Amino acid sequence: MSDVWRIYVRWMRDRRRSTIWWSVGITIVSVVTAAFYPSLTSATSGGLGASDNATMSSVLGLGAGIDPSTPVGFLWSFNYSNQLPWLLMALGIALGTAAIAGDESDGTLEYLLAKPVTRTQVASARFAGMVTVLVVASIVNLVGVAATMPFFDLTDPVTVTAVDGSTSTAAGADLSDLLIGGLSAMAVGLGSGAVAYFVGAATGRRGYALGVASGFAVAGYVLYTLSNVTGSLDWLTWASPWRWFIDDAMMVNGLTLDVLWPFVLAVVALLAGWQLFLRRDLRS
Amino acid sequence: MAVIEANGLTKRWGDFTAVDSLDLSVAEGECYAFLGRNGAGKSTTARMLLDFLHPTSGSVRVLGGSGRDPEVRARIGYLPGDLNLPRTITGDEAIRYFGSVGRPPDTARVDELAERLGMNRRRPFHQLSTGGRRKVGLVLAFMTDPDLLVLDEPTSGLDPVLQDTFRDLVSERKAQGATVWLTSHVMSDVEHVADRVGLIDRGRLAQQLTMDDLRRQTTGDIQLTFPEPPPSGAFDQVPGVSHVQVVGRDLSLHVDGPVTAVLARAAELGATGIRTHQRELEDIFLETYSGSETDR
Repeated sequence: MSDVWRIYVRWMRDRRRSTIWWSVGITIVSVVTAAFYPSLTSATSGGLGASDNATMSSVLGLGAGIDPSTPVGFLWSFNYSNQLPWLLMALGIALGTAAIAGDESDGTLEYLLAKPVTRTQVASARFAGMVTVLVVASIVNLVGVAATMPFFDLTDPVTVTAVDGSTSTAAGADLSDLLIGGLSAMAVGLGSGAVAYFVGAATGRRGYALGVASGFAVAGYVLYTLSNVTGSLDWLTWASPWRWFIDDAMMVNGLTLDVLWPFVLAVVALLAGWQLFLRRDLRS
Repeated sequence: MAVIEANGLTKRWGDFTAVDSLDLSVAEGECYAFLGRNGAGKSTTARMLLDFLHPTSGSVRVLGGSGRDPEVRARIGYLPGDLNLPRTITGDEAIRYFGSVGRPPDTARVDELAERLGMNRRRPFHQLSTGGRRKVGLVLAFMTDPDLLVLDEPTSGLDPVLQDTFRDLVSERKAQGATVWLTSHVMSDVEHVADRVGLIDRGRLAQQLTMDDLRRQTTGDIQLTFPEPPPSGAFDQVPGVSHVQVVGRDLSLHVDGPVTAVLARAAELGATGIRTHQRELEDIFLETYSGSETDR
């Protein structure tokens, strides 16, 4: 067994309870939201069509052609485009901060590095741990929603009436929709976690990691939403993870290559953070 | 062979110099006590030995290599001044984990250390008292019988019996050829186990002395009481005597070497009382740092 594996296992073990709580909490939010589908659709009788309000559209992820009265449109606009990515971002930032800066601030990292392990081994094991917890939480959420959505009519096809009176049939949600929605939301969480990881590895400061990564997530969201409302600074929204996430609406429209952006960001953050971690002093 | 060798070792953060041009060498099998006031640079030096901090200039070699090398760190037992382990880890888990990422410890040795120190092996680390945490740290530091022990305030929080056990442990390791780098404010620890003492003041090595030097210096001060005020030159002819002071019927002096001649002269003069005061390491420590208070 390699030292990287041992460090990884220990870090995961130290987080087993929080991983369970995060996973269960995220899943409860998703399932409870899904449970509103039957009552919401009957209450509005299919009148949940895309809003003209650009702000609300941004918030709900209501891009062109997305109808929240359909099962997939509902899941996307009421959970997978907002609640779920926010929760996974929070989890990612908490993990990315804890990976190096958190343990360094607690003083536990120093003692580990007094042992014959390298900083490279610690940095890679901790990054792998961060990814694993995000994947576990996403899988638990996927299983929870997949297991319960038949009870909430989300797997049933629905007939949708358009403004011009024409009707069409929308398919019920299936596992592939949940997979794509979960993957893209997890990618957003991973991107934010990677920012926290990078800042933590580079500085060893928990506050910096938490602040910069949270700022990245919130400022990106505000920037994207305001740009949608005002129509200005559109070019700047490319720096926001929300742009590709909401514009592409992969859960509804299908997977695109944009989903790779957070993974690219994560690899860059890992490499840059690792190199800076090697070169700096440990904080006491 | 020098196990620790620092040459011009310096650590600065901006305008603040934590360690300034430190030159020292610690031989194999030696116990070197590195003493100083809080913030003097002791922990910074220890952290450079283990490559937690990179020197601004100068160099330090440990066990013939660098603290950056995992092979070197495999031969070091480290106890930081403030030991922090994952909150929920128990003593046994810590032994297994840190043993698995380092040199594997001998189970019998672990059991022996845990028993001698009375370590609680099952309670989570965050539920242990300060002393309980110290015991875990000492077991972890000693369990692989390392070639070099770097111990920062090792007996802080331990009761006198366990302090004694600690001294025995250090003495045993020294007898087996291990080298010890010790930082402590407990002077009795230092006096019992150290071979040499380095005093650091504001990052600079203020003085180094062997325990033999110290013992020579501790040949002490004597205060004699006479029925009448004695003449101030009463002990001028006695070898080794210096710093004679007369206050009323009391005469104090310092003597280097045997005190036989002093006692004989005191008897001649009809001394009615005698008190001795031995200079201890603590006195030297206080003398070294007296006056630096106002500079801080």
